[in-house]
Amino acid sequence: MEKLTVTAHMKTPFITGGGYMTFDALLAGILFDQLQDVEAAHASVPIKCTDGLFHASAAMYEPLDQSRVAFVANMRADHSLDADLFPRKKDGTMRKMGRLRRRDFGAVMNSYDSKQVDSLEWHVEGDSEEILKLIEPISFIGKRRASGFGEVHHWSIEASELDGLTGYLNEPLRPIPVERFKGNTDSLKVDAAWRPAYWHPANRAICYAPETPQ
Amino acid sequence: MNTFDFFNDNFGRLLVEQGNDPFENAAKALRSSHPLASGKNSRLGSGWAIVKEKNAVVQLKLAATGITYDDRTRFEAIIDALENWDNEPTIFMVFDKAPLPISNLFLTVDLRAVRVCTPGGVYSFDYTLEPTENSPQFYKTLYKQRMKNAS
Repeated sequence: MEKLTVTAHMKTPFITGGGYMTFDALLAGILFDQLQDVEAAHASVPIKCTDGLFHASAAMYEPLDQSRVAFVANMRADHSLDADLFPRKKDGTMRKMGRLRRRDFGAVMNSYDSKQVDSLEWHVEGDSEEILKLIEPISFIGKRRASGFGEVHHWSIEASELDGLTGYLNEPLRPIPVERFKGNTDSLKVDAAWRPAYWHPANRAICYAPETPQ
Repeated sequence: MNTFDFFNDNFGRLLVEQGNDPFENAAKALRSSHPLASGKNSRLGSGWAIVKEKNAVVQLKLAATGITYDDRTRFEAIIDALENWDNEPTIFMVFDKAPLPISNLFLTVDLRAVRVCTPGGVYSFDYTLEPTENSPQFYKTLYKQRMKNAS
């Protein structure tokens, strides 16, 4: 395992959705698309992992501009959603889905913070060849990829001095549970997910974490 | 420390019977109807709650014992808690008609990263700094009230 800096040189603004966007999460997402198995995807991430903690930093970037973007999705319950997801009537039959009632269809608006950046950078300790193999075909990262956000112009990997856990000033580079953090304890403390799956509440703990750019 | 164990130990167990699953216990406390002091029943569908170790303060007057009830507005109560910050883990909750999902339940452990949990999302802000253009509207209002209190 080598200490590396991975850089995504961006072509379009990107949307994180508010998370830390750690590099292990990015690779686990790519691997999940290939393997379709959460456990197998996490086990295959080519990054050093100590008791569940991946040596991979959060995404680091300097926003040049930030704006709010909103998307409206028009739901058509009778053909956009699986009818099995809807509650049945008391007699066990399914209520007929229609287009007349507001609850059967409608517009759902989601808004996001979009960030214009030159590049996103991660410090990791991992296998450079395996990492390159995984990221090279990836041309979009973050949320709303299908809407054109987060397009990567190209990727680069260089040698680094950082292990993906603490920075030059001993600050945390990713969420690290307080009892496992060996760096500067004046750093920011938050309730955050520190291991994948990052969306699962069971993986949250009080962590030292980097400040996310606002 | 796990957010959900903290929530259940200091607040949830006073409202609902505890099972083996901490997530389900927390979800049940947040979405179920609870007896009110008035004799009626209601979900946590309005007002606010501030949960600390062995100290839960709620605006809605529930019938449950072991909880402190407080009439102040959400901004007054949260400002007071933050002005008298004791570095102890705290959950700040603001309720609305929709139930607060457990995915929006976060502990605050640092004044530089305050989390206010609401059904619509989690408002995060640095209480040691003035709000910026990109700060949540909740923090802008809270800051305005704080300045008003100080003057």
